[in-house]
Order: sequence, then structure tokens, then C-alpha cells
Amino acid sequence: MIESILFWGLALAAVASALSVVALRNPINCVMALLAAMLATAGLYALMGATVVALFQVIVYIGAVLVLFLFVVMLLNIKGPSAGIPHSPAAVAVSAAAVGLTAGMAWLGWKAMNLSILAGPGVGLRPETGVASIALELFGRHLLVFELTSVLLLAAAVGAVLITRKEKDPS
Amino acid sequence: MSLELVVGLGIVLFAIGAAGFFIRSNTVVLLLCIEVMLNAVNLILAGFSRYLHGMEGQVFIFMIMTVAAAEAAVGLAILVALYRLLKTLDMSRINFLKG
Repeated sequence: MIESILFWGLALAAVASALSVVALRNPINCVMALLAAMLATAGLYALMGATVVALFQVIVYIGAVLVLFLFVVMLLNIKGPSAGIPHSPAAVAVSAAAVGLTAGMAWLGWKAMNLSILAGPGVGLRPETGVASIALELFGRHLLVFELTSVLLLAAAVGAVLITRKEKDPS
Repeated sequence: MSLELVVGLGIVLFAIGAAGFFIRSNTVVLLLCIEVMLNAVNLILAGFSRYLHGMEGQVFIFMIMTVAAAEAAVGLAILVALYRLLKTLDMSRINFLKG
């Protein structure tokens, strides 16, 4: 009962803040709305028993990515509100197409899921959650992927520095 | 809280992000809409991880978070370079690739 109330509250908060990310005009307000959406999602992770993921959602997403967004928005010092949602038939058509495409993909995925071995709950053998099981999975079977993501992060850091560097005169 | 509810919530969030990506013209908001979509996918993965009692979904969430951090760093770097060059962040005015 309490779980259901919490789920619906967090879900409504997430949807409302995601809608405000799209609808608000000032980019700072959009970043703040996304922060609320991320917090609601972290609460949903905690509710689903993925406490480590909830922790990393707060630390990595809110603490690093969104602060970077805020930093850049304030650094660029964008004056005044930007253009909001355009009131044109094209905007309505495009958003309807996006929603329809997503619903179609979801329907196809649902059909495929009902056909596959995922049809019954409890297929996996390890019901326990927590840091130890995630670490065993991450540093055991997925060690190569883990190491490759470190290369990806290094490449992203070098690329970001290279892109934002000011061009020097060739002389 | 069943799997259907979590997947449904993820689909709704993904649709909001996708629609926002196509109708907004501010570059910062476009990057934020990408983050909304990645979050929706993460939510669905967490729901499946719980439903199947496996850890793979949560490992995938960590990978997606890493890719999202890298994407945000590179995307914001491109945004800063673009703003320095053109003094605008409005996508409807950035159109050199238009033929």
C-alpha cells in the first residue's frame, strides 16, 4: 500500500518535471526541472531495491552532469528567456509522431517480450541486491566493458578540451 | 508496483523527451531532453532488473550513466564552441549544413 502510494507520487513528480523541462522557457529553469526529475527517478530506483543505482544517480547525474549543465548555462550568460514551444501545426504533428513512434516501439517490445523466455518472473538465479552482487557482476563478467568505458571517458575528456580550446594564430 | 507500470512510466518519459527534442529550438534544452530519454531507458532497465532478479540491468545502467556523462561533456563543449562562434544557441539560426 505505502509502496504503491510512493510509486504513484514519484511517477507523477517525474512526469510533471519532465514536462516542465520541455515547456519552460528559461534554460536555468529547465535544468532545475530536470534535477527534480532525476531526484524522482532516484527515489523510484530506491523503491525498486536498486539502492546503489539510486546513490549513483544522485552522485553522478545530479552532482556531476547537472552541475556541469548549470555551470555552462551560467558561463554563457544567456540573456532572457529563449523561444518556448512553438505554436505551429508542425510542432503538434512532430510531437504526435514522436509519441506514436514511442508507443509503437513499446508495443513491438511488449509483443517480443511475451514471446521470449522473459515471460515468467524470477528467471535469474540471484535474487539478492546490493553492492557486493553488483561488484561481482561488474568486475567479473563485464570487466572488459568496464575497462572500455574508462577509455571512452578519457576520449570524451580529451575531446571536450580539444573542442573548447581557443584557436591560436598559426604565426 | 508491477513491471507494466514501470515500463509504462519509462515509455511516457521517453515520449516526452523525444517530443521535446523535436519541438524545442534551444540547444541546452535539446541536451536536457536527451538526458530525459536516457533516464527513461534507465528506469525501464531497473524495472526489468527487479522483475528478473538479476544484476545485469543495473550494470547496464552504470554503462548508460557513463555514456551520458561523456555525452554531456562533449555536447556542452560543442555548445560552448558554437556559442563562441555564432553568439547564439537557437537551433533555427544555426543552419550552415542546410543545402
